[in-house]
Amino acid sequence: MALNKLTVNEIVGRTLREFHSGQTIALGSGMPGQLAVLSDPAAGFQFISENGVNGYISGSDGTDDFGLLNSTDGKVLGCPGSSVVSIEELAAMLRGGHVDFAVVEPSQIDMNGSFTHWTTDKSNGIFAPGAALDLSHGCKRTIAVMPHQNAQGHSNVVQKCDGMVDGVSSVNMIITDIAVLTVSDDGLRLDEVAPGWGVDDVRAITAAPLMINENVKEITFGLFAEAIKSKVCESGLDAVQDIVDGAAVMIDGFAGPGGMAHYLLVALRDHGAKKLTIISNTAGIARVVNFGTPPGRLAIDHSILIENNQVRKAIASYPVSPSASRPSAFEVAYKQGDVELELVPQGTLAERLRAGGAGIGAFYTPTGAGTRIGEGKDSKIIDGKEFLLETGIRADYALIRGYKADTLGNVIYKGTSRNFNSVMAPAANITIVEVDEIVEPGELDPESIVTPGIYVSRVVKRPDEFSGYE
Amino acid sequence: MSPSKVYTSLLDTVFDVRDKMTVLISGVNSGSMPFGLINALKECKAKGLTLVYSVDAGGQGEAYTAIDSLVDLGMVSRVISPMPFVVGEDSVVRKAWESGDIEIDIQPMGILSERLRSGGAGLGGVFLPTSLGTRFEESKEKRVIEGQEYVLEHPLKADFALIKAQKSDTLGNLTYRGFGRNWGPVMAMASSVCIAEVDEICELGALDPEKVITQGIFVNRIVQAES
Repeated sequence: MALNKLTVNEIVGRTLREFHSGQTIALGSGMPGQLAVLSDPAAGFQFISENGVNGYISGSDGTDDFGLLNSTDGKVLGCPGSSVVSIEELAAMLRGGHVDFAVVEPSQIDMNGSFTHWTTDKSNGIFAPGAALDLSHGCKRTIAVMPHQNAQGHSNVVQKCDGMVDGVSSVNMIITDIAVLTVSDDGLRLDEVAPGWGVDDVRAITAAPLMINENVKEITFGLFAEAIKSKVCESGLDAVQDIVDGAAVMIDGFAGPGGMAHYLLVALRDHGAKKLTIISNTAGIARVVNFGTPPGRLAIDHSILIENNQVRKAIASYPVSPSASRPSAFEVAYKQGDVELELVPQGTLAERLRAGGAGIGAFYTPTGAGTRIGEGKDSKIIDGKEFLLETGIRADYALIRGYKADTLGNVIYKGTSRNFNSVMAPAANITIVEVDEIVEPGELDPESIVTPGIYVSRVVKRPDEFSGYE
Repeated sequence: MSPSKVYTSLLDTVFDVRDKMTVLISGVNSGSMPFGLINALKECKAKGLTLVYSVDAGGQGEAYTAIDSLVDLGMVSRVISPMPFVVGEDSVVRKAWESGDIEIDIQPMGILSERLRSGGAGLGGVFLPTSLGTRFEESKEKRVIEGQEYVLEHPLKADFALIKAQKSDTLGNLTYRGFGRNWGPVMAMASSVCIAEVDEICELGALDPEKVITQGIFVNRIVQAES
């Protein structure tokens, strides 16, 4: 009797078991698109379309929230907490390591997890990668879903792919219509088999060596029910309590009090972590320049950390007070030799932060060429003009000041307080956002979200009674 | 008073597209391409164009998809795209490429979009990991940065961008809807002349500044889409 292979819906059902509520999953073209069709919206998965919508499901008879068809031509329904991004931002999100899972459909995959995407298969006449390469760099885990054999009955799982690959050792797990395989450093391991199939049945039609899991299981389907995890912290101190000595911390704010996470700054002072590297536009001048500070009070800024001996180094564009008679805390510490400084022009700082968040190693910029900023840096003449090589900056934490956030970490800003916040949020391992108001997912317009929750780890409400002055 | 960016005729917006220019065309599917501008472009008779686009799609009632129709008129000598035609299907682009009438330069989505951003942002190039180990790394400069290997990708700029947006004010500040955003913002940045075909043109102040996605500084011409 012939053994039954899994249907596409069953492959998808098995794949959905890999995810937990709140996780982000980028879907490639082809079979992966079915995940967003068959998933239960209540499961809390945030599917990312290669066309730029985060947090959606699709169905042929669903309401079409985004007006336009997605890549698999289904109608698209935004889940509560969805957001819209442009293509270059989507690619940055993938490359920058912000997405939990990528799901791709290879036409062939090898024992190292390298694969040829179905759209670049030579039988199609052209190599059209679309987003296949973007899905192969940066995601924390990559799952391949595919038929085990091609139409001619040859194994799609092979020792080495026939031609050039689109993903290099990027797949961690393979889910086919007969088996679930793990890609390990030692090769492929068979973990699960389709109902009715034995280990030897799978091995017989697989053109790559298989290690066999001691406890090979039968593939099962269906979701685990889980509550959606909120990113909300009880207090500022809760939000910053794991910042250790020596950490690099991005702190937003342009110069004045706008856009600065004052409540988190005070929490970080109370927490007391030392030898911090702070990355910001100024290194704190609001305390010595009157941007509207009420009489008899002092503005809260980076200075409170410097005065508390918590800072070892600053990376900044404007680390001095404009008034020689009122030096900033950083200037005083710098002149005493207590802190180091790396000076970066404002636009270069913003671009280096973007690069850090977008998985860009370095870039050439004309800013600073021929000035002291260029000393000791690699430069290159491009079309007759000198460019400096600048590298991306990442940090352990970013302290972000938003206006409103939902519990999934989607953030909107108010006016110029957006400044460095939106470019810092993707550039830190842990991004903490202080907001005036926390709302439920779905209350923010998906088109208006500036920082998608994918970039945000923690959200804390700035208490109503809290003042940016002390 | 500066000349208005608002055009009343689709044809007028593309009058100065000349031979051998590079034209960016936004859109990811039939719901999001600037078909009015593409139809106008067919009338301008420029030859030897390089077209940069994401996917080819057709408008309602059109016999040809957008890019196919331009190639069929003999206006195109080269296309740059992550997906120049629908794989496995017959298309004018495919036939023209197979017979040597046009060149195809395939660029993965994230590399193409970052090259456009790099061009639009005045950068001299970016080091990306995306093409490592694939056919797309061939003959490109590589560099190890902080222990990791990257590939240099050059900026890409164009003479024109034809994009589709939802609303524009008279200064060209744009909003989009859903997937309609796609390549619009980055193509607007990367072009010398960006033309936006929009569903609605509104007065200054009608758009919430917090919700503007493409700033008017990147947009040169605005025209109402025909309903």
